[in-house]
Amino acid sequence: MIGKLIFTRLILAVVTLLVVSILIFWTAEVLPGDIAARVLGRESTAQAREVFRAKLHLDRPIIQRYGIWLGGIIRGDFGQSLVNDRKVVDTIGPRLKNTLIIGLVAFALYLPVTILLASLAAVYRDRPIDSFISLLTLIGLSMPEFVSGTILLFFFAVAIPIFPVMALIDNAKSPLEALRILALPAITLMIIMSVYAIRMLRDNLIEVLDSEYIRMADLKGMSRRQVILRHALPNAIIPALNVTSLNLAYLIGGVVLVERVFSYPGLGSLLVDSILLRDVPVIEAVTLIVASIYIFANLFADVMTMILNPRLRYG
Amino acid sequence: MDNMTSTGNSTPLPAMPSFRQVIRRVQRLPPTFLIGSVVLIFYLILALTGRYWAPYNATKTGTGPPFSPISAKHWFGTDQLGRDIFSRIVLGTDDVLFLSLSGTLIAMILGVPLGLISGLVRGWFDEVFMRILDVIISIPLLILALLVIAAAGSQLSGNSFLLIGVIAVVYAPRIARMARAVALNLVTSDFVTVARLRGESTLWIILHELAPNATGVILVEFGVRAGYAPILIGSLGFLGFGVRPPTPEWGVMISENRIGIVTSPVTVIAPALALALLVIGLNLFTDGMARILGRSTNQNP
Repeated sequence: MIGKLIFTRLILAVVTLLVVSILIFWTAEVLPGDIAARVLGRESTAQAREVFRAKLHLDRPIIQRYGIWLGGIIRGDFGQSLVNDRKVVDTIGPRLKNTLIIGLVAFALYLPVTILLASLAAVYRDRPIDSFISLLTLIGLSMPEFVSGTILLFFFAVAIPIFPVMALIDNAKSPLEALRILALPAITLMIIMSVYAIRMLRDNLIEVLDSEYIRMADLKGMSRRQVILRHALPNAIIPALNVTSLNLAYLIGGVVLVERVFSYPGLGSLLVDSILLRDVPVIEAVTLIVASIYIFANLFADVMTMILNPRLRYG
Repeated sequence: MDNMTSTGNSTPLPAMPSFRQVIRRVQRLPPTFLIGSVVLIFYLILALTGRYWAPYNATKTGTGPPFSPISAKHWFGTDQLGRDIFSRIVLGTDDVLFLSLSGTLIAMILGVPLGLISGLVRGWFDEVFMRILDVIISIPLLILALLVIAAAGSQLSGNSFLLIGVIAVVYAPRIARMARAVALNLVTSDFVTVARLRGESTLWIILHELAPNATGVILVEFGVRAGYAPILIGSLGFLGFGVRPPTPEWGVMISENRIGIVTSPVTVIAPALALALLVIGLNLFTDGMARILGRSTNQNP
């Protein structure tokens, strides 16, 4: 039963990704008109444009070009950069690794911070500590990641220089140093993910704390801490899992900005650079990789929710 | 993705409050609505009147030494080129308000009718339309915005119409999906069935049952989207794809003045606060509006 559901979702995700690839290819290569003139500049000679077109297979029909592109990707070949003639895969590999590292560190910070602050706000609801957390999350919601990142950078890298201004992870000599370099960008990402989730989880927790079985647990003399850890949190977390997909979108958008703030060599800064340089194969590769990470992470979150919540299995 | 399958069968919408109830609720206006209104009126005044009293021209260089600190002449100091930060913030207000609101409005004009129609007619059109929307939505918002900017190329970069178009393109599919869910909920709701059984005409049902119920959700959706639009514009500006310098824009200012953050932090903090306060104002206003209409701002992403 659940296996079939997961399989259907998997097929749907693959189909979605395929259509996304068409959309990306169409937007990046077909929509802008003559790419040769666009990349080489208006003053380029007709001959130079011809050579360029042949190199990118631009002289062939669109469907065939898409086929060549997709076929290459399936074989792990994203083509060649237009700017430095390097293989796109070689450029993207280390950048992807860096972005995944920062995303994972941010995610590892996000879980405990969200659960702790949401529990505090729910247990001490309508008291000063709840209002304070509510105010903090409101500020967080209203602050774009490049603003919170810049402010953190100012306080903890400039005013009190405990962290480096530029997160040059490739120069890190030890894992400990790498963590110090990653700290500020990861905290910035953690903030944008947490603010919405804290509000959501707090409301869920309050709802659960008002339920009969919590009152029952209270009445039979369980300690408050036990009630929250054993009964309230597990029941409140499942609905909050739905926020994960929203958070992933924030995380992926945020990575682009945060990498820029801290000069972090990841996929996001590569995307920005390649748009500035009009490096079409790199733009296509990065957007496709980002979209596929997003789609499959969502699929994972969906499947986790289905497995954890028995009611959703039979819908 | 989790919304893919759940758009059609969510809980029915709460009934719209009667006119008298609305009046009574307005008398006890939520504080968020009041604070939000004050903030928005403040920004509106800045946008409309700023050009008449701003102390300096926004693009005038050398009004003081580069990165000069806070003084009576320069309330928020000056930037690298000696431009007055305070004037640049004030004169940047109309752009961000205009771009955010018009971009969101165009997205609503595109998305709402398409979504409503899709939800009302159902069938194969609805199926195909929803699949296309799901695909577009599965590209994260900022990445989609950057992709559109990359497609538009360098000649259009920094163009106001391009920015409005980017906001419209990234918002419209999300808004359409919301509108479709609203339409589905309404046509299957009890009060519409009851009205049909009473023998009311289709037009009467549209005017008296569908329109008032859809308006609330759509208004809140507009507020939520418009509240995020300044962040999107600022983010694009910060990355170098937004409003073209030297036109004053807060995101661009934050990016430009970062090199002076050690000597004069106010040059970065001031535009950051201007942006954050505007977003807070918009969010509070929307929250208040949602409370008045008896709705939640926690709609789908």
